[in-house]
Amino acid sequence: MTLKKLLVGLFSLLLVAGLAGCKADPKPVSGKVLFWHTYSEGEEALFLEEVVPLFNEAYPEIEIESVRMPYDGLKQQVITAYTGNVAPDVMRMDIVWVPEFAKQGILEEVSAFDEFSDLKDNFFAGSLSTNFYNGKYYGLPLNTNTKVAVYSKAVLAELGMTEAPATWDEMIALARTLKASDDRWGLTPQGFGPWGFLPYFWTLGGKVTDDEYSVATGYLNSADSIAAVQQLYDYYKEGLIGPAMFGEQPDAWGGMAGGNYLWIDDGPWYFSIIGQTAIDSTIVSTIPEGKGGSVSVVGGEDLVMFNKSENKDASWTFMQFMMTDEVQKIMAKTGMIPVTQSAADSLTDVPAYVATYIEQLKTAQPRTPSASWGSIEQVLSLAIESVFRDEKTVTEALNDAATEIDALLK
Amino acid sequence: MKKSLKYKYRNELEVLPFLLPGFILLLIFIFYPIAKNFYMSLSDYNIFLDKMNTFTGIDNYIRVFKDKMFWDAFINTAAYAAVTILPQMAIGLILAIIINTKIKGSFLFRILFYIPVITSWLIVSLIFRYLFESGDAGLINYLLLKANLIQTSISWFSNRWTANAVIWILAVWKGIGWNMVVFLAGLQGIDRSYYEAADIDGANIIQKVRFITIPLLKPVTFFIMTNLLVGSFNVFTQVYVMTNGAPMGRTQVLLSYMYKVAFTDFQIGYSSALSVVVGVFIFILAMGQQKFLNMGYKEGQL
Repeated sequence: MTLKKLLVGLFSLLLVAGLAGCKADPKPVSGKVLFWHTYSEGEEALFLEEVVPLFNEAYPEIEIESVRMPYDGLKQQVITAYTGNVAPDVMRMDIVWVPEFAKQGILEEVSAFDEFSDLKDNFFAGSLSTNFYNGKYYGLPLNTNTKVAVYSKAVLAELGMTEAPATWDEMIALARTLKASDDRWGLTPQGFGPWGFLPYFWTLGGKVTDDEYSVATGYLNSADSIAAVQQLYDYYKEGLIGPAMFGEQPDAWGGMAGGNYLWIDDGPWYFSIIGQTAIDSTIVSTIPEGKGGSVSVVGGEDLVMFNKSENKDASWTFMQFMMTDEVQKIMAKTGMIPVTQSAADSLTDVPAYVATYIEQLKTAQPRTPSASWGSIEQVLSLAIESVFRDEKTVTEALNDAATEIDALLK
Repeated sequence: MKKSLKYKYRNELEVLPFLLPGFILLLIFIFYPIAKNFYMSLSDYNIFLDKMNTFTGIDNYIRVFKDKMFWDAFINTAAYAAVTILPQMAIGLILAIIINTKIKGSFLFRILFYIPVITSWLIVSLIFRYLFESGDAGLINYLLLKANLIQTSISWFSNRWTANAVIWILAVWKGIGWNMVVFLAGLQGIDRSYYEAADIDGANIIQKVRFITIPLLKPVTFFIMTNLLVGSFNVFTQVYVMTNGAPMGRTQVLLSYMYKVAFTDFQIGYSSALSVVVGVFIFILAMGQQKFLNMGYKEGQL
């Protein structure tokens, strides 16, 4: 009898809980938005102390629950969260991930919202395009960035320079002088992956695909591209390229602090993470101009909504709010470059180095926008690494990679 | 007729309710995942939406055997088994024999040698990565340079086999303690009278080990070997933490490669096919070992 009562009690409890779960009735513009981001400490502080209060002032009914996620293993976290129905409503993710996740069918199409068409024209076209997949948009650009040349003031001074070399050849001449002393290197791409390698490859005249991103053969394995990789390989054999490229010590930041490297290429976070010491000890400049110009790589983050979100209206309100000039300009204080024309035009009160990043962005190129980018990235990394580890000749490596990438772009 | 059938299986029917909970758990946690995994391996599976995109039949399986990265991972795993099993058994046995001889502080040594076993894989992997750091700032390089054993520092994690060597060294170091404890248990099961008889016959220590200890430890030895062999195919943490496949996927082992294919590349169908292939292989290996093991037990009996 008591057991029966207990069971009945338990059952009705479950029933009530179940009904309560179903009852989430969608009041307009209220609710809780779970927001995942990978802001650095300084960026997060700015977001929490300035942006969120501003938002709550305008929309007191919406609560923002902001969670700072570690970048390591983030993709795996998205899988487990989404399949386990605990995915965030809104997430700030790397621009190269958006087409890939869109292809998996888990992102909300933002071009379906009425307000999208008004927002659209104010974005920089390059930033907006990173959200494009199969004729639709699956996110809004949030912040853009690129990498510029960061020179060690001390090493430059040692070489008798007070400012950064303007051209690639001048820079190489300095690197050759520096080589004479132990454990010093002129330059060091950070890794073989596209993010690390492409600025050097493009600056020296290489190309990955045609302008429509539809084919790699004839571009990645063109004479110019082969010459660009060959030139870098020759610098490596000459001893001008540092071990950071191979993931060895001294790493890029350690080597900059230790005076081992003349320059590295890095994003604005180099300054926002290290702080004032980094600003004081370096000279910032655009990438030294080579045969292909001064070409860096476009990075940045987009804001996406997961299609399992139960607070789509609140989430969309929050996403639009992040696009306002006011918010864009607040976040720019940490060196995050705005994605809207209107915010970029009226940018004031930002660190001096930001100007160099904006300048560099004019010529910076995106990594091949594709839902298969993850695989393309691996093919490219492997091709470059196999050259530097003497497993393939440049021509072989680039021919093979071009064929593989062609298949992935289809 | 009906009655007699019921009578015949009465015992079985009585046990059935007791078997059921275990059987249900087995069904949910073992058989269902295996079946689902096989189902997923026949397609280009979408893990997020939990559905097949397109049914591809055995395409994924054909791809496994053509995949160079898979074979690299397979060879690395096999090499791991081949290189790490014998040294840790040999050192474990020697330590067990020494500790078994009632030397002073044997209890302390037993604990000290067992500490690596209970230490977290994650933490020792990180420590080993720092120990074997490239350049002369890495401790191992520094020591080798000081001792004049090498002239230039070694970039341990930049070459396939030096990186594998670090993985092996860690495995042996961490495995010795467990081998020692299991051998010790085996040693304590050996009747002292054998040794006393050998003493009377004038046998020296080497002869005693060779003709008494080792033959009598045969069942234990086979037990350890089976465990280590199957364990070798489960190597993951130290590879994932120390190299994550670098350079160029050449240090990938089966599990870390599977993990990458599934959770970095989102090729869930293909990684399921990989896991079926590896699962079948381990099954065959374990069955073969079982036969071998039974043989060992029989021979070991005196």
